[in-house]
Amino acid sequence: MADTLRTDAPAESFTAPTKSLWRQIEPAALGTGSIVLLLIVWEALPHLVALSAGTKMFFTTPSRVGVTLWNMMVTGTLWAPLGVSAAGFGIGLLLAIVVGLPLGVLLGRSRTLNAMFDPFITAFNATPRLVFLPLLMLWFGLGVWSKVVIVFIGALFPILINTYEGVRNADKLLINVVRSFGASEWDVARLVVVPNALPYIIAGLRLAIGRAVLGVVVAEFFGAEQGLGVVMVQAASRYQVDIVFAGLVVFAVLSLLMTGLVRLLENRLSRWRPQRLGE
Amino acid sequence: MAQDTAAEDAPRQSFAARHRNLLLGLTSVVLFFAAWQAIFLFVPFNKLFISKPDLIAAGLLDLIRSGALFRDLMASAVPFFYGLTAATVVGVALGVVMGWRTRVGWALDPLMTVFYASPLVALSPLIVIFFGVGLAAKTLIIFFLSVFPFVFNAYAGVRAVDPLLINVVRSLGGREIDLYLKVIVPSVLPYVVAGARIAVGRALIGVLVGEFFAASEGIGYAIARFGDLFALDKMFACIIVIMVIAVALTEGIRWAERAAFPWRAGQ
Repeated sequence: MADTLRTDAPAESFTAPTKSLWRQIEPAALGTGSIVLLLIVWEALPHLVALSAGTKMFFTTPSRVGVTLWNMMVTGTLWAPLGVSAAGFGIGLLLAIVVGLPLGVLLGRSRTLNAMFDPFITAFNATPRLVFLPLLMLWFGLGVWSKVVIVFIGALFPILINTYEGVRNADKLLINVVRSFGASEWDVARLVVVPNALPYIIAGLRLAIGRAVLGVVVAEFFGAEQGLGVVMVQAASRYQVDIVFAGLVVFAVLSLLMTGLVRLLENRLSRWRPQRLGE
Repeated sequence: MAQDTAAEDAPRQSFAARHRNLLLGLTSVVLFFAAWQAIFLFVPFNKLFISKPDLIAAGLLDLIRSGALFRDLMASAVPFFYGLTAATVVGVALGVVMGWRTRVGWALDPLMTVFYASPLVALSPLIVIFFGVGLAAKTLIIFFLSVFPFVFNAYAGVRAVDPLLINVVRSLGGREIDLYLKVIVPSVLPYVVAGARIAVGRALIGVLVGEFFAASEGIGYAIARFGDLFALDKMFACIIVIMVIAVALTEGIRWAERAAFPWRAGQ
């Protein structure tokens, strides 16, 4: 919702058609400027303000975080935990797609099934997935599977609900045409419904990625033995604040990268459409 | 907005059809619990691994009677309320300024996007270490998780304001404050409520994270503790209570949205 409400170009109607160079680069310059400014202030803070000994223990600067991150990359201490996290993320997301996509199509095509599944979907979608973590830890232990299930539950519903929504929006006329030519329900899904729902599905995927990353982090905080989240919690309990921030940066960059990629795919797929659907 | 409208398909159905959906939904829920109860007639039941509806109901009654459930819910509700209120005030104010002052928007949009994309939950161990176990840490975690939906939705809301209305107010001699009160707030409100629906979900995550980590009370703590004690009946009871609360909150806001801003219904 928040994602779909955001549009990328900030209020261009206020600027004149012929722009000076500064006018053109101003949004980008201000945007990067504020981030740089924040980093500089953060870096300079210990030099400007005398921090108490207690606060110093929890304080770090961007440069120290950068150095720590670099060291973790060079010595390789980053890659093994990151791999574990990525495996949980990947398997969970894949399962969510494999289950969510057909189920979404099915529910979109059948009113009866939809009415029967609706209470469960509403309940599970509204509930924070974290609630199930203690239970999943009992069932699946501290290995990769409780993580996979948390990621799966988190990512399933955006994909499922968006697929459903896209299927419901399919052109009835096209469906009838295909049917008149003797198409089976499977043909209808393959030829009309799924291609039509594709932009919705991609938008759902974008949301699912965000939830999946959150799922990995949270699952590793409470119920795992390996992974980047585990590294971060252990660092926090040893007051190694730079490692915590380094992990945060890695997760943030990865989730920005992946949502960016999906957004590219989304723009590409919706190019032939007269207007953006799913918004 | 496609992702959360599963419940509100087919704008105009006959009353009978809506009735049918409700009945089908109820039937499937009843069937689900009946099957859950019945399956242990055939499968050996291990109460350290799974629970049954009748045991869960008994556990729930027990928790209600002893007052433990109420105590835990209150302990969670207070930081939830504080954090969400602070997030609303700060987020909406920030979003409105970002939308209204174009340059502020340009300056802060990428920064906010970075914050929104990064799993800020990851900072909760630090927050807990710094602020200790208790109200302040929980409130702060909830605030951080739920502030960004407000920022982005208020931002989008202001930018969706009709420039014509602004010009009318200006032409008629309205001041800046008039613009805010007469044009911007009414147009932004639906967006803010929509943001609140997302924020509530994230705030619930915040409650659980805060309480799983370090707490001595609260509904999240109760779930973790019953898990450690292998008291699965009570654990399931608490999970169901949270599910009911989550559904009531999000569906409540959705209902309020439809009642208050009918022109946006179906979006």
